[in-house]
Amino acid sequence: MILAQSLLVGFFGAAAVAFGVWVFRTSSMMRSALALLFSQTALGAMFLAMQTEFLGVLQIMMMATEMSIMAIFMVMFMMDPGGLGEMDMSHQKRLAIAAALVATTLSIAVVILVDWGKPTAVPPGAAQQVRELGTELLGRSMMLFETAGVTILTAMIAATAIAVDGRPYGKQKPAAAAMNQQHKPPLDEEAQS
Amino acid sequence: MTVFLALVSMLLYIYVIAVIEASLRTGRVNAALPLFAALALLGRESIVPRKCDRIFFETAPILLLLSALLAAAVLPLAPGLMITDLATGALFINAALAYVLVALLMAGWGPDGAYALIGGWRFLGQLLAYSMLIVMPITAVAMRASSLLTTDIVTSQAELWNIVYQPLGFVLFFIAAMALAFLPPFDLPTAQGELAGGVEAEYSGVRLAVFRFGRLALITALAAATTVLYLGGWYGPWLPAWAWSTLKLLGVASAMLVAGHYLPRIREAQLLAWAWKFGIPLALLNIFLVGVLVLVLS
Repeated sequence: MILAQSLLVGFFGAAAVAFGVWVFRTSSMMRSALALLFSQTALGAMFLAMQTEFLGVLQIMMMATEMSIMAIFMVMFMMDPGGLGEMDMSHQKRLAIAAALVATTLSIAVVILVDWGKPTAVPPGAAQQVRELGTELLGRSMMLFETAGVTILTAMIAATAIAVDGRPYGKQKPAAAAMNQQHKPPLDEEAQS
Repeated sequence: MTVFLALVSMLLYIYVIAVIEASLRTGRVNAALPLFAALALLGRESIVPRKCDRIFFETAPILLLLSALLAAAVLPLAPGLMITDLATGALFINAALAYVLVALLMAGWGPDGAYALIGGWRFLGQLLAYSMLIVMPITAVAMRASSLLTTDIVTSQAELWNIVYQPLGFVLFFIAAMALAFLPPFDLPTAQGELAGGVEAEYSGVRLAVFRFGRLALITALAAATTVLYLGGWYGPWLPAWAWSTLKLLGVASAMLVAGHYLPRIREAQLLAWAWKFGIPLALLNIFLVGVLVLVLS
């Protein structure tokens, strides 16, 4: 059982790394975004293989939406979203290689040097894990998560308020007025509204 | 054996739902129509557009089907009659259905066609409207059951179905489920008559057959989810458990199809405005009301 689990963890780990490499090997922004999604999905599958069902399912769920939304931003803002111009996504290669080597060495050092304690032979059942996680989130860690949640919500509302200029056309700042003028609906639609 | 039975039941439901959809479209009931339509599609050439993103183009229909089948896998039709009973079942439904978006984005981007591309991105906008209205009502359902196990959710409704206990959540979930299955009036990604089929536009032959089969499976999974979450699952007098699940599932699917048949297509901006200004506040109110009910009644 442990062997099968280890093999699955290894397989999904390798898949996560392979998709992670593909993120930078492709020129298409859409392929890049979805490669990152499947790298994260493979991480979720690793959680499942390690019998942490809630974390695995949550990871698989959250990443689908987040990476899809990231895809549209990458397509909107990159100069070559289709990858037809063979754009190179890598830059500052020496610095990147050095940073990667240091990070990998540190990670391996943490894995080896930290005293992880005895491995749990029988982890709590999936339902028990959900219950314990819920108790943790609504107990000791409640303030932390609630503060983070409210901060994100505030940022969302503030960003929307900045993006939407509610004032009538005549009273807008020159830049906003010019932008809206470009997107002004035709007269017949305006009359209908 | 249980898995085999669950899969066969799913296939039968998909077929009956295809008959209902075809009947609404043609105006007459013909049980053989979906069979002939499938054979016709399988007999046609499956064209691959030039300069398409082959990986996305080929993966999209299969991923759509897979997402729907995975979501259905945790939904019980009768005590013990389900593919798997996960401890995170209610969350798993969301996780599986999240990949419907990924499939449609792939189907939009893959063929290198304007209509398909617009359809795919439209569905991303549609997700911003419906996703919270799927997750929040499910949260309230799990609150009442004190569990994410779908079998626990059904048994928590033994005395009173959730459609009565939390009607607001039911209405929001029903509408959001129609948007997730891109059924009319939320058929923005396909939009016949406007986008020439949208994400379906460049598919033909066997690939289109798989895509449409996946969409029917998605409608079936969402009807099953509505049955399990709000209509008491297999509970009901006189008839056996599986019969009640079947009747409810087909009833929900018919209601979705009939409602869509008589409603005009909504605009993307209207859908988003409605969802964020009314839908989400109502979903939060639903969670609050259920919380109070759970505390008071316990």
